[in-house]
Amino acid sequence: MVFSFIVIPLLVAAFLPLVGKFSKKLLPDVLTNAALAFLVFNSILLVKPIFNQGVIVQNLNWLGERVNLQVALDGFNLFMLFTISLVSLCISLFSIDYLEHYGHKSTFYALFLVMIAGMNGLVLVPDLFSVYLFLEVAAVASYALVAFGLGYDELEASFKYLMLSVVASAFALLSITVIFGMTGSLNFQAVAQGLQDLQARLVLGVCVAFFIMGFGLKAALVPFHAWLPDAHPSAPAPISAMLSGLLIKVSGIYALFRIIYSVIGLTPVLSQLLMALGTISMVVAALLALGQKDIKRMLAYSSISQVGYIVLGLALGTPLGIAGALFHLFNHAVAKGLLFLNSGSIQHITGTRNLEELGGLGKMVPVTAGTNLVGALSIAGVPPLAGFWSKLIIIMALIQAREFGYALVAILASILTLWYYLLIQRKAFFGRVAEKWSQVREAPFWMSAANVVLALVCILVGIFFTPIFKTWISPAAEALARGIQQVLMWGL
Amino acid sequence: MAIQIILLCGLVIFSALAILLKDLIKAALSLAVASLLLGIIFFRLAAPYAAVFEISVVAGLITVLFILTIALTKKGDEVTEARLVKLAFPVFLILFLVIDGLVMKSLLQKIPALPSGPEAGTFGEVLWKQRTFDLVAQVGVILAGVLAVLALFRKKEEDKDE
Repeated sequence: MVFSFIVIPLLVAAFLPLVGKFSKKLLPDVLTNAALAFLVFNSILLVKPIFNQGVIVQNLNWLGERVNLQVALDGFNLFMLFTISLVSLCISLFSIDYLEHYGHKSTFYALFLVMIAGMNGLVLVPDLFSVYLFLEVAAVASYALVAFGLGYDELEASFKYLMLSVVASAFALLSITVIFGMTGSLNFQAVAQGLQDLQARLVLGVCVAFFIMGFGLKAALVPFHAWLPDAHPSAPAPISAMLSGLLIKVSGIYALFRIIYSVIGLTPVLSQLLMALGTISMVVAALLALGQKDIKRMLAYSSISQVGYIVLGLALGTPLGIAGALFHLFNHAVAKGLLFLNSGSIQHITGTRNLEELGGLGKMVPVTAGTNLVGALSIAGVPPLAGFWSKLIIIMALIQAREFGYALVAILASILTLWYYLLIQRKAFFGRVAEKWSQVREAPFWMSAANVVLALVCILVGIFFTPIFKTWISPAAEALARGIQQVLMWGL
Repeated sequence: MAIQIILLCGLVIFSALAILLKDLIKAALSLAVASLLLGIIFFRLAAPYAAVFEISVVAGLITVLFILTIALTKKGDEVTEARLVKLAFPVFLILFLVIDGLVMKSLLQKIPALPSGPEAGTFGEVLWKQRTFDLVAQVGVILAGVLAVLALFRKKEEDKDE
């Protein structure tokens, strides 16, 4: 059951180019969405066993013989798998109509599924080198997807993204190599044990610095963020949503904090360093977002800023901080996915993303305007939407830990966030309808449907905050706080 | 030790040449020499499997593919680089070598010798029995690469059809 998160997307991806020969649109659409719907369903089914047992360890048997394929599922990675599956499903529903003018749907979906398989694999493996490999699976697919439009901007952005991402992977790999050299092992638990016995603090410090540089680049933390405002806006809207909503979190934040919590350990110095990086990202990117005219570029800067919140909460390391950060990770994945899809709808409807040219669209396209408002207010932290609760928990955690300075900055950055999101709303949707937009129509059915589903998630998660927090977020935060894959007491 | 240093210096020089040389054939050959030297270093460090793969695949197969591709392309698409861009790599390389020389030696002495870990074993055992998950990931990487080629070269095919 757990393996299906990796195997099903890979299998469907392998067959899609062949399927595309017979059916250019219908079958690729149906197969991809069915596969992702199955993964969402699968992750919901796994909630109960995880809630009862805490951890599921599965081995794969091949022709009756045990193969060394082992995955460990705990609250944290189930939470990540559910987030990935849900947001991907909505994005792939959106793509049904959006991709009509790109063509080659089967290749697009195949790459999309490989990227999801890479992210799911990264979330499930308990081994440093496997983390690197699955990181590359997701990355290689994402380079091609950023360049999928084949225009000059797309290719340039993809190349820039490729170059910086390779540097990031090289730093992570270098660090993994040194750790393997020191401990002779790659398994999280064995490495953690080995490092405790060694007392090689200086070398470990260098490894941590390399990990922060590597995964910081992947997560686009300031000052490693230069590639993101180019790469994310240039990609087709579904891929922008995927990259900003999921990939930077899985290949950057998840990988970094999983390694820190499960292998290296969160020391006070490391905690302060990461909290400072998170806060700088939060503020600098919010200020940069204010000056943008391109909606997608503004959203890209906003992603860097919101990643700052998540890092701040996780780096704080208290149970409340971790829970708030994970909740914000989910809320941001949903809301930012929604906002990027909405920007795709706006571009589809008007042909432009320039805020200066837009205006008054709200009367013409109420669904797009309404869903955009929900996503924007959720990220900005307006009650009772989901984003409000997660930001509130992060700020409460900071106050509880007596980090009043950080708490104040987090509140101020939240006001900045509200400011630039209201700018989008005002410039694009409010005011008088410009002459040239008087004939525009609402986005096609599947695009609007995907946006409505994501907007509903933002609203419902906000309203039913308490049960959702108890069922989903708390087990995930507990698993992470425990230093997880102690879990992997699987008799090595 | 002297041979090791010569091999390492050769590796750095030929890797740098692969980036700096303007002639693509010469650059591809420099890369081949660099990976040949890396293969020899692997042998000397008692990693024969890595050495065999490095020499046969990277120095051999990939070089042949590069040279074939270069032979099939035409001249005329030279891109002029800004002076600043031209300087970026040499400056970075020198800076890196200086830092490397100053820091790494003392750092390396602090790394304890590699204990024989649980991952030891013959090549087949390691690949099939201990690192099985990595094979799944490698299938994913290859699939992503193939699909990326299908996606990025699709326009050319359409042009041909027209």
